[in-house]
Amino acid sequence: MPYYTQTLQHRAEPDDAWIEQIRARFPVEHSIDDVFTNKLKKRCKSAAHKTDFEHLESRLFDYLKSATGQQDLVIANPKRLSGGASKEQFTFELTWCPEAGTPATRKLILRMDPSESIVETHRLREAQILRAMSGEVPVPEVYWCDPIGLDLGHPFLIAGFLEGTVQPDGGDKASGLGMYFEPDLRDQLKDQFVRHLAHIHNVDWHHKDLSAYDKPRDNTTDGNAWSLGWWERVWHEDAVEAHPVVENAALWLKENMPVLEKPVIVHGDYRSGNFMYTHDRHINAILDWELCHIGDYHEDLAYTTLEILGTPTGDGRVLTSGLLLKDQFLEKYEQFSGNSVDSKRLAYFDVFSYYKAAVIAVATSSRTAYGRKTHLDAMMNLLSGFGYVAISALQRRLDDI
Amino acid sequence: MSPEIEQFLAGMKKTIEEVVLPNLTDRFAQEQAGIVAATLGFLSTIQDKVFHYELLENQEYKRVLLDVLEICGEADGLSKPLRAACAKVEGHLQLDKPEDQTSLRPYPFIRGSNENMKEFLCEFIQLQPDMPAQIRTTFEARLKPFFKAIETRERSWVKGLGFDPEAAQQPDIGELLYADNYLRSAPFKP
Repeated sequence: MPYYTQTLQHRAEPDDAWIEQIRARFPVEHSIDDVFTNKLKKRCKSAAHKTDFEHLESRLFDYLKSATGQQDLVIANPKRLSGGASKEQFTFELTWCPEAGTPATRKLILRMDPSESIVETHRLREAQILRAMSGEVPVPEVYWCDPIGLDLGHPFLIAGFLEGTVQPDGGDKASGLGMYFEPDLRDQLKDQFVRHLAHIHNVDWHHKDLSAYDKPRDNTTDGNAWSLGWWERVWHEDAVEAHPVVENAALWLKENMPVLEKPVIVHGDYRSGNFMYTHDRHINAILDWELCHIGDYHEDLAYTTLEILGTPTGDGRVLTSGLLLKDQFLEKYEQFSGNSVDSKRLAYFDVFSYYKAAVIAVATSSRTAYGRKTHLDAMMNLLSGFGYVAISALQRRLDDI
Repeated sequence: MSPEIEQFLAGMKKTIEEVVLPNLTDRFAQEQAGIVAATLGFLSTIQDKVFHYELLENQEYKRVLLDVLEICGEADGLSKPLRAACAKVEGHLQLDKPEDQTSLRPYPFIRGSNENMKEFLCEFIQLQPDMPAQIRTTFEARLKPFFKAIETRERSWVKGLGFDPEAAQQPDIGELLYADNYLRSAPFKP
């Protein structure tokens, strides 16, 4: 494809000077800066993404022997998983001695970055937050993490595989968006869904090992500026064409940014498709923490209740994550968390969330497909359709405000 | 020219859905093949409208940028970046003149021109804090209907991809592009 403008050429073939200029223009957390800078540096140097499934098992075997110090471990039944939109995911069974002298076989999941992903994130951040949330809310157990990707060719994380349901039967929705739950299932899941988010926001993160995260100061705009900087930077690194509505929204978000009094852990992608439940209808895992950061709880509330992520009821209303109406969600959240919902701040983060959804689904999804950088190129093109719905909703929300 | 593009696309979609998909056993491969079939279905609905979509955008962006030049031209003491932004637009409109018969240009020329004009407008948007208050108010008022037209047009364009909870309320892209079998946006008079 031709480069129609100099900006588009820079984005497709970034040189060091351009990368430095964009780093200076959009400050983000240090580990996020590492990921984005690395993405740009390898963008025009790496070929189209190709999964090396043939050699994956032997490389994984070598890595695990080294990581465990055990030579007699056994890998069985490696399989690729469907259903995700960002990482390549594989399951396998590993027989080894997790504790001295106690051989065990466990089913594990390998989450590995493609060459470029619809969300470029840091595997160490994901590993740290999963470990930090263990015992707080249900999460998979992390065993190993390689944020550099030396051993398997791409950064990865290995965690325990949990049995359960993410999408109910017939709920084949891309990435779990707009998922339908039967009414009785909704009734059993909705309180758990809200309660877990309330708990996440009340975890005292100051005493957790989150060294890969920058910590925003109380009563400043640090956290909100980093959140906006994250997605602004992604837009300006990835967009395959300029977009006036998106640009206007970024300016509005900068000019209306609220001060954040008490930063909390923000999941960043809390919705249907990112939790799992058991056959007896208990949520047994909160998943996909890769967008987690420390910020304003309204960011999660606005994102989770975005109408375009919800499930239409057919009578003009929308169920948040297919489970309950927005008002019910917010009322329960206040009750379970003790945090009050500020409608003005929620409106700010509505705009922010539509902006974020637009950046992910218009800019990065198109960019990864444009560069043939993922195992999901066809899906990435398709997801731009969701992105333009997000841009439309973004503009309508700004008009309302 | 035969077969028409639509015929190629329909043939590929049918083959994937009726031959390839039923014989795939891997869940991931099934999922991806389904996405390819859905993409082909979408392409069938838009493939004959791409050129006119870009042509309409070409005319709309020229109109809005000419208006922005006029708005900025009325201001005293414009900042240096704003003056530079105006100069870029003026230079570009010498290459793709409003009064030219753009419809006779090849697709990449129109697409390229549009990409440049989108970047120019975004630059003005970024420079709003530099604008004198009255100019900014006028600029914002001019953009409001322009933004509305963009979001409606884009949402109709991607309606067939299945992500829009309000799809039933969105006009088809053909309805937006054409009236009485002509492209809605009138060309500039020479």
